[in-house]
Amino acid sequence: MSKVVAQQAEEQEPEVDLIKADQVIDKYIDLPGNLMPVLQGIQDAYGYIPRIVADHVAERLNVYPSQIYGVLTFYAQFHLKPRGRFIIRVCVGTACHVQGAQRIKETFFNLLHIAHTETSADLRFTFEEVACLGACGMAPLSMVNDDTYGKMTVQKVDEIVAKYSALPLD
Amino acid sequence: MVNLTIDDKQVSAPKDSTIYDAAKLNGIKIPILCHDKKLKPFGACRMCLVEVEQMKGRQIPACTTPITEGMIIRTDTPDIIKARKLVLELLLLNHPLDCPVCDKGGDCDLQNLTYDYQVNSNRFVDSKFQHEIDYNNPLIERDMNRCVLCGKCVRICDEIVGFGALTFIDRGIETKIGCEFEKGLNCEFCGSCVSVCPVGSLLARPFKFKSRFWALNKQNSVCGYCGTGCNLTLGVKDNKVLTTIYDENQGFHKGQLCVRGRFGYQFISSDKRLTKPMVRKNGVLTESTWDEALEVVAGRLKGGTDVAALATARLTNEEFTLFKKLLEKAGTKNFDHSAGYAHAALTDGFARSFGTSASPASILDVQKSDLLLVIKTDTYETHPVVGFEINMAVKNKGVKLTVLSDKRGKLSKLPNAKTLVHTPGSEIVILNALAKAILDAKLTDGSASIIPGLPELELSLAAYGADAVYSQCGISAADINKLASEYAAAEKALIIFPVGQAYSGHTAELATAAANLALLTGKYGKEGCGVLCLSEKNNSQGAVDMGFYAQNGSMNALQILDACTSGTVKTLFIAGENPLNSYPDKDKVKSALNAVDFLVVSELFMTETAAMADVVLPVCSFAEKEGTFTSADRRVQYVKPAVRKGIQTKTDYEVFSDLICCLGGQIPPSTAAQFDEIAGRVPGYQGLSHASLRINSAFAPVSITPAFVVPKVPAPVTTGQGMLAMVTGSALYHSGTLSQFGEGSMYVCPEAYVELSRTDAAALKIADNDLVNVSSNAGKLQLKAKVTARMPSGVVFVPYHFSAAPVNTIWNGAAVTPVSLSK
Repeated sequence: MSKVVAQQAEEQEPEVDLIKADQVIDKYIDLPGNLMPVLQGIQDAYGYIPRIVADHVAERLNVYPSQIYGVLTFYAQFHLKPRGRFIIRVCVGTACHVQGAQRIKETFFNLLHIAHTETSADLRFTFEEVACLGACGMAPLSMVNDDTYGKMTVQKVDEIVAKYSALPLD
Repeated sequence: MVNLTIDDKQVSAPKDSTIYDAAKLNGIKIPILCHDKKLKPFGACRMCLVEVEQMKGRQIPACTTPITEGMIIRTDTPDIIKARKLVLELLLLNHPLDCPVCDKGGDCDLQNLTYDYQVNSNRFVDSKFQHEIDYNNPLIERDMNRCVLCGKCVRICDEIVGFGALTFIDRGIETKIGCEFEKGLNCEFCGSCVSVCPVGSLLARPFKFKSRFWALNKQNSVCGYCGTGCNLTLGVKDNKVLTTIYDENQGFHKGQLCVRGRFGYQFISSDKRLTKPMVRKNGVLTESTWDEALEVVAGRLKGGTDVAALATARLTNEEFTLFKKLLEKAGTKNFDHSAGYAHAALTDGFARSFGTSASPASILDVQKSDLLLVIKTDTYETHPVVGFEINMAVKNKGVKLTVLSDKRGKLSKLPNAKTLVHTPGSEIVILNALAKAILDAKLTDGSASIIPGLPELELSLAAYGADAVYSQCGISAADINKLASEYAAAEKALIIFPVGQAYSGHTAELATAAANLALLTGKYGKEGCGVLCLSEKNNSQGAVDMGFYAQNGSMNALQILDACTSGTVKTLFIAGENPLNSYPDKDKVKSALNAVDFLVVSELFMTETAAMADVVLPVCSFAEKEGTFTSADRRVQYVKPAVRKGIQTKTDYEVFSDLICCLGGQIPPSTAAQFDEIAGRVPGYQGLSHASLRINSAFAPVSITPAFVVPKVPAPVTTGQGMLAMVTGSALYHSGTLSQFGEGSMYVCPEAYVELSRTDAAALKIADNDLVNVSSNAGKLQLKAKVTARMPSGVVFVPYHFSAAPVNTIWNGAAVTPVSLSK
């Protein structure tokens, strides 16, 4: 997490409602070692970990705010910025790489103008490069949320973007 | 003891040692970066790799491996040296190697090890770190480019300080040390992280580019701020104190200091120090000579029954004794210190309950106890290093902690700490209710029945049933009964409370009420037990031991001021005290100082009080004089001059001796001989001398004659509609009014503030940093608002130290003052 990203996270911080966070905290408050489940629950509730909520968790669980930030940056599963409705994952592992993953990645970028870990302004798409999705037989491989798209081509990228752009955001 | 072999040497070490400890104990040096003897083993740096024959010659870290019987260890085989060189090469790979401009040069573990292991080339190539340097605060610079990720700063901030400002951010090769959300450091600024940093990542900014480490002259001393009595090493160059140097072997606190001790030293070599005596001529203070100034003062002191004196509790024991002699020579018995009430818990409370004017417990008992009852959370603010001890006791030893306070604080956040937030000013009621609960549940110790006064106490407590006091103190009966039974059941229990000029509610009565609990349950006179009164200044206990307070009907500090107003006292000698700022009711103090015929002030700085004087005498700080200080727990410690005093300044000791000579007395003895006289006279000081204290400080033992005392309970304070209850106290970063001249303290906490709860702030539409008018019956004061989660609603807190916004304009010494806030 670079300083720039942390600053962006702060700037983008919208008003958040702490009630959802309190519900999660109340569920785990008496559990020893409750920081991970609380943070996971909060990420499920908000889609990411808003900064204000992280501070609130620190206060309620009596954990140092710094410690929470350490945990949040250690695990790749936590996000400090709002994430898109649709998470596009493009595999750039060895098998996909030799099958042209680079072209797939570039095509997504040309269409959506978002790079690795970035989110489109309308919060529709988040783009991620991943090292391996574990289905090398289908290389080059991409995923959107839980849907898998194997044997990717540049045309298929257009279709995928068109399809998910048409879907409602909620 | 476990026997083992290290580098062919037969050695033995205690059974819970690590290989590193055992080697160090036996004089074998193992290089290490991530170890500090105060911290738990961590095993981060891999410099301390050794080979153990029983582990098939594998390389294992010495700092995390416990020793076993018959272990055969080698610390310097060619393989190990090769491995250490590799570690150093990797550490230096991304390090900027900017040693020529790094303040750590000469004191840097990484630099020294690189030199020792002759790492003159690097087999690897990689780019240097490009982290941004944190210059966000004036005291601590964080340059993560130089960091070796030993984690000592992260650990000390958690394990000892209990603040947790720093953490490891990210992982793998990206890992760095930082604060939450990459913010700048915003903490207590105790500088513990700076003290343990093995490289130049964390540096004291006030010391930047002031001197190379090897050019500093290191002088041991004792901190001149609070009553904890921490030991210091001052770094001196060209007769100026430039920094404090960390020494993990120093004092009970192992070199651990707070923000004032570490960063508040600037007052010693400040250019605002008074350099010449001044005498008021035609209404104007004019520079003068010592001869003239002393002659004028001596002329006033001669045969004066109308003379009185106030002294700061920062004088040495020898100076107090000599000051007393001077005043006796001048024919007065009217002298006192610290506004009188600030030491009453000792001189009146403990004197009645324990038969001695000292605490029957020491700071060392904190970690040896099973249960701590801390009255007011401010312990970590008034005596931060005692706060560290409490933190370590709770976290490492599992000591139970109950905080009885009118607000929350850092101590409330410790694991399993219970904080009972009570109505301000109701401490004595709660202590009485606890005593009653102990008596009712028959939890008293057998020894209590033979202590005089038990039936009277029992009778007086009739009205303090746990249910009956709820309306007065706001603590539920269940909590009181639970605490009473826990306190009685604990094998060892210690009660701690601070006293001081801003803690006017911590009276003799509070001391007796706390003492009753210890006496009822037999929790005194044993290790880990007792009642510890944390006196405010570095020699408050010494002032009491030397008898520098109102006794046998003589006037106390506040009566002396009244007598100044009424004209009974015509000459007032103030040694180092700044009553205009620190005593209650500024108007009253001001009219007293205006009314007094002749005022002489000996001071380091031109304080408000000094500015009103007829004669001002420039005197010396703790770092320029020889003598002894007695800490809150009666540790007698010797200080010697660390820097030469100014040509035209004198120590208080010299001033008092000169004046005694002027009054026709004999030339007083040297400070060492003066101390010998003290040792022969003051109980507990027997056998001590400057010569012995030079080598080691010593505890003056306390002998206890217990008695139950019925505490007088003050009338409850009603705040009234729309009013808030103001409590006064110390800010973490300050001590008395002296710390105003310590730049470190002023950088972090430059002005007075009013701290209020979020609910009150919302109701009054006050935001953080708003300017707020705080009005009481006594007056009005404009302060910056500080909205915090720790304050309960209905209570506001104002610290006292500041001349620019003195709280005594709205505070007349009451424990609780009703105030109203408006924007």
